[in-house]
Amino acid sequence: MEILDKLKILADAAKYDVSCSSSGSSRKNTKGGIGNSHISGICHSWSDDGRCISLLKILFTNYCIYNCKYCVNKVTNDVPRAAFTPDELAKLTISFYRRNYIEGLFLSSGIINNPNYTMELLLHTVKKLRLDYNFNGYIHLKAIPGANIEIIEEAGRFADRMSVNIELPSDKGLKLLAPQKNMNSIFTPMGQIDSKIIENKYALQRYRSANKFVPAGQSTQLIVGATDDEDFTILNLSESLYNKYHLKRVYFSAYVPVSKHPNLPDISTPPLLREHRLYQADWLLRFYGFTSSELLDKNSPNFDIDFDPKCNWALRNLHLFPVEINKADYEMLIRIPGIGIKSAKKILAARRFGPLTYDNLKKIGAVLKRARFFITCQGKYYGEVGIDENRIKKSLLMDSSKQNNNKKQGEQLSIFSLYPSLAPVENHLIEIGEDFK
Amino acid sequence: MIYYIYDGSFEGLLTSIYEAYYRKDNPLKILSINNYQRELLVEYIHIETVPEKAEKVYNSIRKKISVKTLQNVFYVYLSEFDDIGTLIYQYLRYGWKIGRNVDLHISDDRVSTIHNIRRKVTREIHFMLGLLRFKELKNNIYYAEYEPDYNITALIAPHFIERLSDQNWVIHDIKRGIGVLYNQKEWVVKDINLESDLEFSKDEIFYQRLWIKYFDSIAIKNRINPKLQKSNMPMKYWKYLVEK
Repeated sequence: MEILDKLKILADAAKYDVSCSSSGSSRKNTKGGIGNSHISGICHSWSDDGRCISLLKILFTNYCIYNCKYCVNKVTNDVPRAAFTPDELAKLTISFYRRNYIEGLFLSSGIINNPNYTMELLLHTVKKLRLDYNFNGYIHLKAIPGANIEIIEEAGRFADRMSVNIELPSDKGLKLLAPQKNMNSIFTPMGQIDSKIIENKYALQRYRSANKFVPAGQSTQLIVGATDDEDFTILNLSESLYNKYHLKRVYFSAYVPVSKHPNLPDISTPPLLREHRLYQADWLLRFYGFTSSELLDKNSPNFDIDFDPKCNWALRNLHLFPVEINKADYEMLIRIPGIGIKSAKKILAARRFGPLTYDNLKKIGAVLKRARFFITCQGKYYGEVGIDENRIKKSLLMDSSKQNNNKKQGEQLSIFSLYPSLAPVENHLIEIGEDFK
Repeated sequence: MIYYIYDGSFEGLLTSIYEAYYRKDNPLKILSINNYQRELLVEYIHIETVPEKAEKVYNSIRKKISVKTLQNVFYVYLSEFDDIGTLIYQYLRYGWKIGRNVDLHISDDRVSTIHNIRRKVTREIHFMLGLLRFKELKNNIYYAEYEPDYNITALIAPHFIERLSDQNWVIHDIKRGIGVLYNQKEWVVKDINLESDLEFSKDEIFYQRLWIKYFDSIAIKNRINPKLQKSNMPMKYWKYLVEK
């Protein structure tokens, strides 16, 4: 089979894995080698679905012994099958990299023969890239559940990030759609990689020459909408993954109907808005100091489609508002709808040199359309409607319907969460030196 | 009313700022000779570039304000916007008054204007680290052409020197006719004038086809969203993309 056909089949089969991040690693180039990684990641293109392309995201093979009902590669599916050789894949990666098409490789695979055999093939490929081709770009590698820990550990020494996909957020869902898997078989490699990462951290503190193990950490993916699991279940699970296994990211993938089965929901379009709300909530967990039980509970286990999770939280906690912009501490500032991490930091910095006015806030980049209902500036309230749940809701909805009419539907769905996270770019830019004078 | 005119170079701009202080002219504007129009009732003073004077200003920004401010000034200069000379002059005057914390005074217009322009330049740099496309020529040189809004070629070059250090390459800014040439050891910024057509290596078209195939295969058909694609990747950058 021609490389071109293999590429088509195996990229096509890999695309439902949403992670494409190339951030979190700062691997340096070696002498005579090729590549390095950029701590905040770099997007190299955006595909027609609007998602960032950063890594060559591809399966080693789409042959698979499993029959997970939600998966396009399940053994009973009648699709063309292909497999790369480690050499073909390494050469392809390098050739793309030299042309600046990609930031590195994201390698996953269907299970061929058995988990160990598959993991060996992946290991062989990354070793070839790192050792034979001196490749120092980003590598994201799947750990195959059920493979021996020794093989996974060795692979971790060559990868920047590893991930094990949970896919279905509860045991019940797994039984229904992927009866050959169970939660335990997924958490085992996750736990092993995690303890290895922690061990490696101590080793690096003591011996600076120690080899790095999975420096960009672990991630995983949960499918949203293939089972009847509620947002609360999904968010609780991701919270515990962050706490217990120190994951860097939990990705959510709106279920795309790839095949029909009585156990699968019958939908025509993926639940994109729900996915978006979960990402917003995920951000609140990771950067804004929220806990999942503040955002949702048993009585309201799903997110409101009309309001983002932070707005929703604020509307249910109006007794905390309005907040005086010139007095509130950082923790409270970032809880105000319409004020993000960046704006909050700028507010703190600017406050040192005098009180802020409503106009100043605009310049700082706060979204006043939302924030104005929840704040005062030097004692003055600009929300007009007062601290009243229904009246605020009404105004917010009016604003967003105005916006939708202008922009047509669907555009508010910025999938910002699929970027390689943009850490402060400025830190990594070149200092002005003699050359530029 | 006094306007200063400098020769368009970074040293020229810094020399003008030097003179503005030492001659106590208090010029209302500092303009580049490349873009200004004569107005009535204005006295125009042409400033001659003196590298030593420019260096004094350069070091003074570094020491008395901060390296970050120095970077801001240089990035804003590279934006090539109209009237950046005046904006930089006002920003620096404020900077020398306030000292190293000047960049925290974001509610001041002089500071926030500079920050906004710098953000635009930084954003384009970050875009180009990803969107630049190299093509392999017959003589084993990788050639990339592009048309950035701002004059960022010298700022993106170090990234590729680190990353593609074992490769010969050229980054060519078509719009300004300049480029960076790198030969695995050294790099230079030069005027580039292509006289003949470039000849690609025999593999080049093959890999371009592979990339296009990959680009098409990786999109999820149920999620096609051209608006999102365009807002993430502005169309002005599509011209030199292999896949578009």
